[in-house]
Amino acid sequence: MSQKTLTKSQDTQGFVAQFIPTVPNGQGVGQTQRKAAQESLQELALPSNKWENWKYTSLKSIYARDYQTPVVGSLESLEGFSIPGLEADRLVFVNGIFQEALSSTSLNEGILEVHPLKSLTGETAKVFETHYASLIRPEADAFTAINTAYAKQGVFIHVPKNAIAKAPIEIIHLTDTGQKETAVQHRNFFLLDRSSEAKVVESFHQIGGANGLRIGGTEIWVGENAGLEYVKIFQGGDQASSIDITEAKQAKNSRFSIFTTTLNGEIVRNHLRIHLDGEHTETHLNGLNLLDGKQHVDNFTHVDHLKPNCYSNELYKSIVKDNSTSVFSGKIHVYPDAQKTNAFQSNRNIVLDDTANIYTKPQLEIYADDVKCSHGATTGRIEEDALFYLRARGIKEFDAQKLLIYAFAAEVVENISMDAVREHIDRLIDERF
Amino acid sequence: MLSINNLQASVEGKQILNGLTLEIKPGEVHAIMGPNGSGKSTLASVLAGKEDYEILGGEVSFEGKDLLEMAPEERAGEGLFLAFQYPVEIPGVSMVNFMRTSVNAVREYRGKEPLSAGQFLKLMKEKRQIVELDDKLTKRSVNEGFSGGEKKRNEIFQMAMLEPKMVLMDETDSGLDIDALRIVSKAVNELRSKENSFLMITHYQRLLDYIVPDFVHVLYQGRIVKSGTKELALELEEKGYDWIKGELVA
Repeated sequence: MSQKTLTKSQDTQGFVAQFIPTVPNGQGVGQTQRKAAQESLQELALPSNKWENWKYTSLKSIYARDYQTPVVGSLESLEGFSIPGLEADRLVFVNGIFQEALSSTSLNEGILEVHPLKSLTGETAKVFETHYASLIRPEADAFTAINTAYAKQGVFIHVPKNAIAKAPIEIIHLTDTGQKETAVQHRNFFLLDRSSEAKVVESFHQIGGANGLRIGGTEIWVGENAGLEYVKIFQGGDQASSIDITEAKQAKNSRFSIFTTTLNGEIVRNHLRIHLDGEHTETHLNGLNLLDGKQHVDNFTHVDHLKPNCYSNELYKSIVKDNSTSVFSGKIHVYPDAQKTNAFQSNRNIVLDDTANIYTKPQLEIYADDVKCSHGATTGRIEEDALFYLRARGIKEFDAQKLLIYAFAAEVVENISMDAVREHIDRLIDERF
Repeated sequence: MLSINNLQASVEGKQILNGLTLEIKPGEVHAIMGPNGSGKSTLASVLAGKEDYEILGGEVSFEGKDLLEMAPEERAGEGLFLAFQYPVEIPGVSMVNFMRTSVNAVREYRGKEPLSAGQFLKLMKEKRQIVELDDKLTKRSVNEGFSGGEKKRNEIFQMAMLEPKMVLMDETDSGLDIDALRIVSKAVNELRSKENSFLMITHYQRLLDYIVPDFVHVLYQGRIVKSGTKELALELEEKGYDWIKGELVA
């Protein structure tokens, strides 16, 4: 989030107190980083919409709440939470706690390692410690620090050199608030060694009658010539808020494709930053938001072109109605060394009625002279000519509109390589309109 | 079939149609010719129900029903078909999905059962052959990446799929090379019958060599100023539209 402030906020301490586990977790990985993060929290203020990077998103309602430490949740069946038809290894978390009985990592057994963070030991723990919290740095902002300091669980995926995952890894998060306002944290770490490949799908759900907040951090290291596809689906509902911090670093010749879709949510902030730290990398950033009611989603993306000959392509789309708000802020930063950069960014939005809001801020910062970069943003209604064309072929106005919304979303969704995931998102879109 | 009486319409406050009257009977093929800006495309758009146009006066009845009261989709359901001058590209909507939705919507309107997937694909294959439309094109998004000629052939393909009673062709021949023109004409001629009628709006006489009309009308300043048979088209071709303008002044 790169938002640092020198003024210590008293509010921070009160807010942070809610995340400190009642039983200290003295054991486990990442202890040094936790301590550093706790120290950082002494200096960091909570984001405010007086800050440029938070201008359109106020977290006041979140700050005002008194979140409880979640009760130990459990789940009997994955139906309604897992993606139908997706042959995958699964890791399931309820209220941030790993559900062993519902999880399985047998499909990729012997090919790669998938662990809940809690169980890391020996060599695996060592690999983890070497990289952990070096990409998302706790001193950068309050939420990263809170997450680093107090997130107890999450997923560590390590794909060793030349290993090709046999099946995608599906991570399912469920918050069960019961009747109490509940906050849940987790932390992921994906490490792909040279020439390895994997696909990860992560979904976020919430049940219960109270407001929930999740704070999640994900660090991704895509090694030389490695490839990762990562799909995130937030569908927590109107009472679910989320602060997500995802950062990836790509080594030379690597490929990374990330799809962030937010299908609802009270306040959702998706921070995504990608560091292209080797030549000839390829990066795809796709985003899709379908919002209604009072839902508010803020996608804050940042691509750092640090080295020459890299390619990045970003496409974010929103469809908003009622009083919902979609914020997009995307920066492409091309460093002086990064000649022959190809960087493209596009943010396209459809507003279905007069009351919905779109704020879009595409930014290019280019310090190299031999580059191809473009950015653009469009916001409009459904294309009238296309609507008329469909109606002139006998299709009712409502159905024609639905077909066009579906098509608008399809341009993003079709970039997902996993058929079952694509079909799942198509179904979720279909249910909405 | 289609009865237009004293139709007046405007777009963006500018009156384009100034009392147009035309009667088309079942099985007839009419051609409307006219210089640029005479109101040809406005007529097509008004008849198909485009919302940008305001009807200032007059009536249009289609098989006895008030056409101007109907939504565009109802007009299609009743059997009116507009072949667009500029078919719209719709990225993300596949031709197959579009046509299946369209055919079944029209069938529903006409009180028929929807087609099964098998029946639909069979129909599609059959009609595709009439306009020699490549299988690859029907797998793409609607009109996306189609050449000009492919777009026009796609319009005729859709026409064949929907089996309309009254077809409006809005400059279907403009921009077509002679091979595509032959294919389109052949398809239209195959679909001609005693029951269905055509109104071809065109700028060029050439089309009428391939689809021979029963009547030719000249549209000028939003009204039909001259009507005749196919010979009128030849005369127009020879003398140019200035001839009509001159006659009107005189």
